[in-house]
This record gives sequence, structure tokens and C-alpha cells, in this order.
Amino acid sequence: MAGRTIVVTSGKGGVGKTTTIANLGTALAKKGFSVVMIDADIGLRNLDVVMGLENRIVYNLVDIVEGKCRIEQAMIRDRKLKKLHIIPAAQTREKDAVQPEQMKALCQQLAEQNDFVLIDCPAGIERGFKNAVAGAQQALVVTTPEVSAIRDADRVIGLLEANLLKDIHLVINRLNVKMVKQGDMMSTADIVSLLSVPLIGVVPESEDVVVSTNRGVPLVHERGSRAGAAFQKIAARLNGESVPFDDDQDGGFLSRVKRIFGG
Amino acid sequence: MLGRMTDELPFVIKADREGFLLIVNGKTPLPHVLEALRTKLEESKAFFQKSKMILDLHQRPFDPEEVGAVRALMEQAAGVELAEVRVSCEDGAFSRWAAGLLGVKIRLGTERDKDTGASDSQANPHDASPPLVVRQTCRSGTRIESPAELVILGDVNPGAEIIASGDIVVFGTLRGVAHAGAQGDREARIWALHIEPQQLRIADLVALPPRGRKPKPKRYEVAEVKGDLIQVVSY
Repeated sequence: MAGRTIVVTSGKGGVGKTTTIANLGTALAKKGFSVVMIDADIGLRNLDVVMGLENRIVYNLVDIVEGKCRIEQAMIRDRKLKKLHIIPAAQTREKDAVQPEQMKALCQQLAEQNDFVLIDCPAGIERGFKNAVAGAQQALVVTTPEVSAIRDADRVIGLLEANLLKDIHLVINRLNVKMVKQGDMMSTADIVSLLSVPLIGVVPESEDVVVSTNRGVPLVHERGSRAGAAFQKIAARLNGESVPFDDDQDGGFLSRVKRIFGG
Repeated sequence: MLGRMTDELPFVIKADREGFLLIVNGKTPLPHVLEALRTKLEESKAFFQKSKMILDLHQRPFDPEEVGAVRALMEQAAGVELAEVRVSCEDGAFSRWAAGLLGVKIRLGTERDKDTGASDSQANPHDASPPLVVRQTCRSGTRIESPAELVILGDVNPGAEIIASGDIVVFGTLRGVAHAGAQGDREARIWALHIEPQQLRIADLVALPPRGRKPKPKRYEVAEVKGDLIQVVSY
């Protein structure tokens, strides 16, 4: 089996990388795929918290790389889904405890045994970013509709392209449809036209996200959450299914987005 | 022949004001260059440790993969950082890749510039070299300098800087910083489909865009110097 390795990155912190990865991983595992999520944010881990698995950690990513444990020993299984695992980051180590080549080898090994390997990239563009990107074949760039986040996303896309990682898709997180309609927030179309990267999904701003993060249960488990539904759609698109971008979630800019894609 | 090649290094390393300058000759195949470079760096590892290197490719055709390989080797062998790549202007392959460079500054110039010194090229910037064409959107963090005209076939995003001695033509939206006539030529102009910049510079003048949104122009806009001010005119 040759799975896909996908890095989720953003440049700026706090735009929702970890939330995105937790929900996409869960959604893909719910579809029956085997998924491993790697927290590459060494020194500051939080994927395990969002997944509600922090008390199960024994070994971490640095232990694998340093040969202190086998890969399977550091893989923590999800509470609900058998085919979903995370590899936590080490909280007590520095980012240079891992080399890009080591990440690459680990990702390759995991991709042989799983359908999806999702890598949670730290904020910034330094060593941690280079580690996280090293093993990835595909990238999802997460941004929010704020100029600062978009500026950083633009820089990150440039860096990814320079690393010859050309398969890049955009996730717009925390879009507030009402504010877009009032002209107080950048629209999906504006962001896509600036970043000129294909869009894979738009996640509406929602209070559910905070609640689910605090409870350690990804939103895609809940019925009736619009943000959760948006993540499910992104997972389906990652799987190659064609899911239409509906007007409601994209703030009525569907036609313009389509035009950008030449659709 | 082969014996000679191994005796004679396929490159020269000079100390430059801005760091070390690595000039690679045009004929030696890449594996030979890499091998010799690795030997050299490992021999004098302590000397080169953590230094900055400028890669000079005036004698060699530009190939992104070669630059990548040289860069990786330098970093791995002695922790040397590739700070800048210097290429000749005639190089088309460069322009397709230039904007995507991983934070490495690119400086363009003809070999003649280098030999005769900067003063000559300053005296006559327009004749020195053909325009540089970049066939890519310039993203945040990109900096492109051209000793002649500069043509960008794509957008210039906020956070990108484009600088030319002559005119700048952006076949897209200019949202970053553009500096035309950088050697002091006030006749230089900035052309773009949409000009919504962070800052415009022509020669020694600087202009900031007016606050608030303006209507989208019908065809294109040109920024030029009128009196002592830069003005943007829509066509």
C-alpha cells in the first residue's frame, strides 16, 4: 500500500492547523481509511489534546527518531476509531532534535502501511517547518480571512513551491458569512485570487470548534455542526470525490470561485 | 583530459565583501563539481563552517536542480548557507524559477558588468542587458532585481519586492513594492493591469497609495513621474 503524505501548514499561528488536521484525520478514518497524524510541533504539542489523548502518551516522535522505541509503540490509537492513530510531539525537546531526512524516512515508512499520513506543521518557517514539509507529497495551506494570515500563507506557498512541492490546496478557516456580506471581511474569491492556489474547502466560523477542542472530541463526530460538515467535505475532496462548493458556506461567491478555477 | 579535470578544480572560491563567492565553470558535469566541492568543504570544514556563500553562475547555464544540489551539499558538508545566486541575464530558465527561490536572493547581471565594475553599468543601465521576464506570481518574501527592464507575467503579492533599473511591467495586479528606475532614472515607469501597491518607488521618489478603495480600472494603469510626484494614470 502506498499512502499519501499531506502536510497541513499556514505560516501564521492560531489559524486552525491542528483543528483542521484532527478533523480531517477523523473524517478520513470514519470513511474506513487507515490514518496516522504526526504532530511535528516539537516543543509545543497540542494535537494529542485536541484529540483527547494526552493521558495516553508514553513515547513520542523524538523517541522514534532516536531509536528509543518502535514506531508502533509511539502510535496512539484513537478512542473511537480503530484505524486512526497519532504520533505525538515531544514537549521537552527542541525542534532540532529531528532532522528533515529522518522525517522523510519516517513518513515513507508510515505511508507504506497507511492510506493517509497527515503532518501537523508548527507555525513559522524555520526548522520545524522544514522538518514537517520534508516528507510530504501534498500540502494543505490553512488561512483565515485576515490580511496577516493571508500574507503568511502566501509566503509559505512560495516556500513550498521552492521545495518542489507543487500539489498545494487552500483551506479557508473561520469565514464569517455575515461579515463578508457586510463587506467587513475578505471573501473567498478575494483570498483565492490573491493566493492563486486551488481551494479545497471553506470552514465557517463556529463556536462549536472551541467546545470540541476543549472536550477533545473532533467536530466531525457531531451531527449538525456546520464546521464539522465543512471538514467532512474537505476529507471527501481529498479522497478524490467531487463535492460541490455550496453557496451557503462560501458566502454566495460560488460563481466567482468557479470562474477562477476555469469551471 | 580526465586527469587534468581532476587536478584542476571545476570552481574557484573567492572571498568577496559579502562573503565567499563560488564561481563554477561551465563545462564540468555536475557530479564532478559536487564531488570536488564536497572534498574542498570537508578539507576546510572549520574554515567554511556557518559561512555564507554566493553562487556565481555566469559561466554556467542556470539549472534549478543543480542549484538545489549544490545548496544541499554545502549545507550538509559544512553548514554553509547559500546566500545569493548570481546569474547572467540571458538565462531563460532562471526566470521561470526565480520567484520561487527559497529565500535566496538572486542578482542578475551580465559578465561585462562584473568585469568593468558597477560604475559602467550605472552610467548606462538600459543598454547593459535585456529585460528580465519572470513567468510567475511573486509571492510574499520574494525579491527580484533586474539591471534592466523587469517583466512579471503574474501578480506581485503584498510582501514581495521588485526592483528594476528600467521600467517595470506587471501583467497582473501589483500589490507589493515596486521600484522602477532604481539607478536614478526618473523617466522610468511602472505598468500593471491593476496598481494596488504597498509602496511605489521611481528613482529617488517614494509614493504611498491613497487610503480607501478605488474603482477597478478598465484596461491598465501606469505610474510615472509628473513634476516631482509619482502619479498613477488609468488607461
